[in-house]
Amino acid sequence: MADHWSFVLAAYGLALIVLAAYWRFLVRRERELSEGHQVLREGSGVSEQARRPSP
Amino acid sequence: MSSLLGGVTLAGLVAGLVLGFGIAPREATQGNVQRIMYLHVPSVWVAYLAFAVVLVASIVYLVRRAESADRLAHASAEVGVLFTGLTIATGSIWGKPTWGTWWTWDARLTTVSILFVMYLGYLLLRGMIEDRERGARFAAVLGIVAAFNIPLVHFSVYWWRTLHQPPSLMKPGPGTMPGVIVTALLVNFAAFTLLYAYFVTRRARVLRLEAEAEA
Amino acid sequence: MTFARRAFVVVWKDLLVERRSKETLNALFFFGLLLLFVFQFALGPDRERLAGTLPGLLWLGFILSGLLGLGRTFVVERENDCWEGLLLAPGDKSAIYVGKLAGNLLLMLVIETILLVLFGFFFNLDLTNVLPALAVVIALGTVALAAVGTLFAAMTAQVRARELLFPVLLLPVEAPVLLATVKATEAVLLGETLGSVAHWLKLLAAADVVYVAVGVLTFDFVMEG
Repeated sequence: MADHWSFVLAAYGLALIVLAAYWRFLVRRERELSEGHQVLREGSGVSEQARRPSP
Repeated sequence: MSSLLGGVTLAGLVAGLVLGFGIAPREATQGNVQRIMYLHVPSVWVAYLAFAVVLVASIVYLVRRAESADRLAHASAEVGVLFTGLTIATGSIWGKPTWGTWWTWDARLTTVSILFVMYLGYLLLRGMIEDRERGARFAAVLGIVAAFNIPLVHFSVYWWRTLHQPPSLMKPGPGTMPGVIVTALLVNFAAFTLLYAYFVTRRARVLRLEAEAEA
Repeated sequence: MTFARRAFVVVWKDLLVERRSKETLNALFFFGLLLLFVFQFALGPDRERLAGTLPGLLWLGFILSGLLGLGRTFVVERENDCWEGLLLAPGDKSAIYVGKLAGNLLLMLVIETILLVLFGFFFNLDLTNVLPALAVVIALGTVALAAVGTLFAAMTAQVRARELLFPVLLLPVEAPVLLATVKATEAVLLGETLGSVAHWLKLLAAADVVYVAVGVLTFDFVMEG
């Protein structure tokens, strides 16, 4: 009986692609959002410095 | 912390692959196409686990209104739908050489398909409600309805497939499988469970970051 | 006011509104008739072939009509600015759920009777012998439909694109009910006893209990406004 390796490959290949794609989506989204956070925090730091009264 | 989980997950998946391809023997009746089972069955298990978590998180949210419970439910539903889709796809790919057809309304594929559309509807509902609090509430109610529906789906589909006899026997067990195959299956079960935990953790974190960004 | 009385008030109000306008019933009667035409045109004039699909067609008719009728459960309140009145109602809001459920059951029963009569007419069926058994199956299935339908109608009433979302949410959940009712109806129409489909009936009864319980318990969460 034929082993249908092409089907086995298709199944595992599909799983690999889908799971890897989801993982990349998660990693990329998290990076975007954390960088957004960083910008906010640094931004507020700068404005605090600017607001300090000069002697 | 999640990178530790990620590392362990990866190790588990590799172990699962090694066992599934390297160590587990070529199955007697089906041939090597049976190895798709090491993908298909753990996927189903993860899907059920995910939806059970959705149920618990939904109840917790309604009772305590903890945002973390809502995020857990959302993340788990998404990962659950992902693995449900994977179950259907791998089941179909396995079915073509085995039964000669891409699709068949056998008990498992039918049940999993119903679950797929149920929880896809859950994600759709979430997507269509802008108000965060209302979306969480409605999704929680739907998550509870869907979860309680699962046993009903199970029995109705199983009886539907066993045609004219009412079930005198319950679900048939896995029967006698060679020990090595069982081991390979269990390792893949564990690996997929770890993958589920890893995905849900990261997805929930993304949701939290999104909520903070909006605040 | 007691729970039961509040539920009754809801049913009574809906009945009065319907009696005056008759819009829902008229439209649904007409819809049922059209469905029969559509089934006939889609499946061809071959009597034999149609006879085999009868149980399925019957329940398709019930469900499609149900989607329209149940989806409108809270439209009266939404369109007439009475929604806030519902939200502000004191006490347990699940009395509203029970009232709306009762109203929907009545509505479904009327639609199903009409459809059954039309089916009997167009397909030349003699249903007199099987009517009691058929009634049991229909009753069990309808409770399951209406219980979830009423809950989801309350949800989707508050969401945009509700006409899309309501069927999309309801149909997958009702899949086991559809399987059970069609199988049981099939047996009953062939003249078999209810006992032969006891497992299907038990499943439907279990579904009824679960859905109504979940509806009663979660309705308040849906109506927080």
